[in-house]
Amino acid sequence: MLAQPPIQVVIVGGGTAGWMTAAALTKLLPRACNVHLVESEEIGIVGVGEATLPHIRGFNERLGIDEAEFMARTRATFKLGIEFENWARVGDRYIHPFGTFGRGQGEVGFHQYWLRMLHDGHAVEHLDDYSLACTMARMGRFALPSQDPCEISSTFNYAYQFDATLFAPFLRSIAEGLGTRRTEGRIVDVEFHGESGNIAAVVLANGERIPGDLFIDCSGFVALLIGKALEEPFQDWSKWLPCDRAVAMPCRTATAVTPYTSAIAMDSGWRWRIPLQHRTGNGYVHSSEFIAEQDAMDALVSTVEGEPLANPRVLRFKAGRRERSWVKNCIAIGLSGGFLEPLESTSIYLIQAAITALVELFPEKDIAASDRDEFNRVVDVEYDRIRDFLILHYHATERSDSPFWDYVRTMEIPDTLAEKLELFRRRGRVVKYREGVFLEASWIAVYLGQRVFPEGHDMRADLPRPESLAGGMEQLRNEILQSVQGMPDHLGMIARYCPMAA
Amino acid sequence: MSARSISTVTIVGGGIVAWSAAAAIRRQLPAIRVTVVVLPVPRDALADRLGCTLPSIVDFHHDLGLADADTVVRAGSGFRLGTRFEGWSSGRNHYVHAYGEYGRTLAATSFHQHWLRANTLKEAAPFDEYSLAASIAAAERFLPSEDKAASRLASYAYGLHIDPQNYREMMRAFAMHLGAEERGGVVADVRMREDGFIDAICLGDGIELSANLFVDASGPQAQIRSRLDKDSDDWSRFFPADRLIVANDPQTSEPSTLDHAKALDGGWTWQATSPVRTSCGLVYSSAHLDDGKAEGLVDGGENIKLQPGRLRNPWVRNCVAIGDAAVTMEPLEWTNLHLAHSAIDRLVAMMPDTDCNATELWDYNRQTNAEIDRARDFVLLHYAVSDRPEPFWKDSASRPLPGSLEHSLLQWRERGRLPFYEEETFTRDSWAAVLIGQGALPRRIDPLLSGISEKESQRSMEQLRGAIQSAVAQAPPLGTYLRNLSIQGAR
Repeated sequence: MLAQPPIQVVIVGGGTAGWMTAAALTKLLPRACNVHLVESEEIGIVGVGEATLPHIRGFNERLGIDEAEFMARTRATFKLGIEFENWARVGDRYIHPFGTFGRGQGEVGFHQYWLRMLHDGHAVEHLDDYSLACTMARMGRFALPSQDPCEISSTFNYAYQFDATLFAPFLRSIAEGLGTRRTEGRIVDVEFHGESGNIAAVVLANGERIPGDLFIDCSGFVALLIGKALEEPFQDWSKWLPCDRAVAMPCRTATAVTPYTSAIAMDSGWRWRIPLQHRTGNGYVHSSEFIAEQDAMDALVSTVEGEPLANPRVLRFKAGRRERSWVKNCIAIGLSGGFLEPLESTSIYLIQAAITALVELFPEKDIAASDRDEFNRVVDVEYDRIRDFLILHYHATERSDSPFWDYVRTMEIPDTLAEKLELFRRRGRVVKYREGVFLEASWIAVYLGQRVFPEGHDMRADLPRPESLAGGMEQLRNEILQSVQGMPDHLGMIARYCPMAA
Repeated sequence: MSARSISTVTIVGGGIVAWSAAAAIRRQLPAIRVTVVVLPVPRDALADRLGCTLPSIVDFHHDLGLADADTVVRAGSGFRLGTRFEGWSSGRNHYVHAYGEYGRTLAATSFHQHWLRANTLKEAAPFDEYSLAASIAAAERFLPSEDKAASRLASYAYGLHIDPQNYREMMRAFAMHLGAEERGGVVADVRMREDGFIDAICLGDGIELSANLFVDASGPQAQIRSRLDKDSDDWSRFFPADRLIVANDPQTSEPSTLDHAKALDGGWTWQATSPVRTSCGLVYSSAHLDDGKAEGLVDGGENIKLQPGRLRNPWVRNCVAIGDAAVTMEPLEWTNLHLAHSAIDRLVAMMPDTDCNATELWDYNRQTNAEIDRARDFVLLHYAVSDRPEPFWKDSASRPLPGSLEHSLLQWRERGRLPFYEEETFTRDSWAAVLIGQGALPRRIDPLLSGISEKESQRSMEQLRGAIQSAVAQAPPLGTYLRNLSIQGAR
């Protein structure tokens, strides 16, 4: 058990994935590795993932990033959840909050008592009204959560909406400060070790050869190493997630800088709206099977709220993941490893999950199969669970107003999702997993929002007297309202806490 | 409540498991009428007969609204902080597995990784000494969970050492107080409906008892549940021991918060002393130890054949097996009653409608089996990493491992990683306590430690150990605490 000499890590690609990986490795494993990142300014970055999940706060914290500075530099806003419009029926809207319903405590979930009241014919408010995060989002307020678990203002979490093209440079300054070496250049060749088939080096257009022990493929959709060089197969999930294009176009913010992202269902997909400090990001995620690119573009242009700040740009992708993310001495992190549409803002989360797994399973120079296999197991679980959650949004719909919605409503779904749906339909039960990003409240919000309504409820919820339940719920509602009314509005909070440089 | 809701449950069995199920259902689902058909507790129903329990029993009592005054003072239980393992690996004397933190996370890296590095530098004290729970237990002291200063230092939990007969009477009285009804009799027959559901059970006196749902807590024979199917997973290939001798004697030594599990040539023995009883037992392999010799080692004990395994599906249609009717496992680490309590909690939480929807049952079985299998892995772990030279132990260590345990052991041996599965009973700290206690050490040090200097982690480790030592010195001896509690209980 002696400490090993540092191993040479080569990161290929300098977008969000590349610089997040570089910053994490140099910060957390300073003596275990030397990091060398190769990127080419000729190749732009995709910069998807402007909207994030609360997990990113843990990542930033571990890297010692100051929140206010990070938000100012990336022109970020706060994000309390996602509002879905027109998903189950045209005209519907619901919020998937980063927070609990009720206080989020107790053996029996709050939604069970709520269901019981409804089943018994008592009048109750919409479930959203018993969520602090939903209420804050609707009222456009924001304050940092309380650390005291007894307070109602501790029952939410938050993430950010930021400019991803500014996040990579921000991380770059950190990673370079910690000792990451950066080389500018375009990779033209990959050299292998004869016997092992491991990657030995990447060769740049100027002839420079960069050798390494471990190669991280952060090259994006082109998947230079894991796909082109190592030919690891791609598991195609487009039969469940048929969207394969997005047109993106930022505009000036004409309405509100909401503390949440919007996902608005369209004829052949959905449209995102992500308000940042300086602009609003928009995009139409669609399926080329069901709508022509130009029509999608026109549809986007006609719906954006303010003056366009760029021409519409098209992104092409396919839902799915590599059979294995780690093959030989090459690890795919980011779009090279897999892609799931940004419906639930999981792109950056998936990068982070892979980095966390890599840090926990950081190998020796001579890579042990047990490290590689465990990494692949952990990453696969993340992808598979998110996949089911995304499919739910499409499949649980009543819409029959376009061929696209007819397809997703009637398609076969994975058994793992069919079981989850049935359990919720029966008794409002959410299958709980130890691993996996979305917790109980997320599933409840989306099931109910998509009009999957339970026939029964947890029998334990029948125990309290209805009057005392009604009283408790009203009190909770008042407490939430009072708490939110005491919070600053979203823009006011940003102006005080983390305004971008003028 | 709707017309489809279950309104009657019949429980078969007369031990702790049956009465605990009756009490839990009546307490949390009072709309359900509960009848217990009382059968004699068979010798091999271990969940009903073993006295040592895990911390989950305290939570179970809490959910029922039972206080220490009932479960400890009135039922004659003692507090139980863990097990002291003696001689489980050659060259190591003993270690304590207690229920609480071992060390504390330093710089976002598991404590055991810091310990492992310090150990290679020969600068680590025994792993137990970084655990408040293990240190308190080793000192025969006790800290109530209300002790604020100590709980800031480290988390710790306790189980109980119950007296099975007293405890069963207490639980029976409590269940009846909550409205459970009791019937005597034998199960003469089970009448089935055409759809394969149980319609009624026929008692010896000609009386038939029907119900929406039947709970089989009758022990390994599973008198009701076995009529539906007998599909089970046999674990004989994993477990080295096939015999168990249990003896409960009046108290012969000072009560202790630690029970002792001592490895012998052909198996292991335990001894545990509560305020009212000393229980002891022997688990062994008949291939390696003669039955006569074994019986000579435990005075007045009953010899029980062990057939480790579990039902494929504990719950089928309208009949659910709980306790030994669902799973049989040797007593090491005292998982038997814990698994029964957990199944009862799950039954209450997932109570279906009268149609016993297949997907809901599938979810119950999935969770229940996942929990049972990981508890089994933890028990097997003790054998898998022993390096004792005797034939029994060599046989133990060379047996095949379930895939999930093999995965855990591979990850541990390679780099000290402890992968966590769904429905774990034992924490990562528990796994580390046993692995390190038995001298199974990883091949390499986690590279995450490269960011923290040896000096720095050494200083934090020593600081923690010192704080634990002074907390232990200030904790009252167990006897004092028990006397105070019984005075409070008498008030």
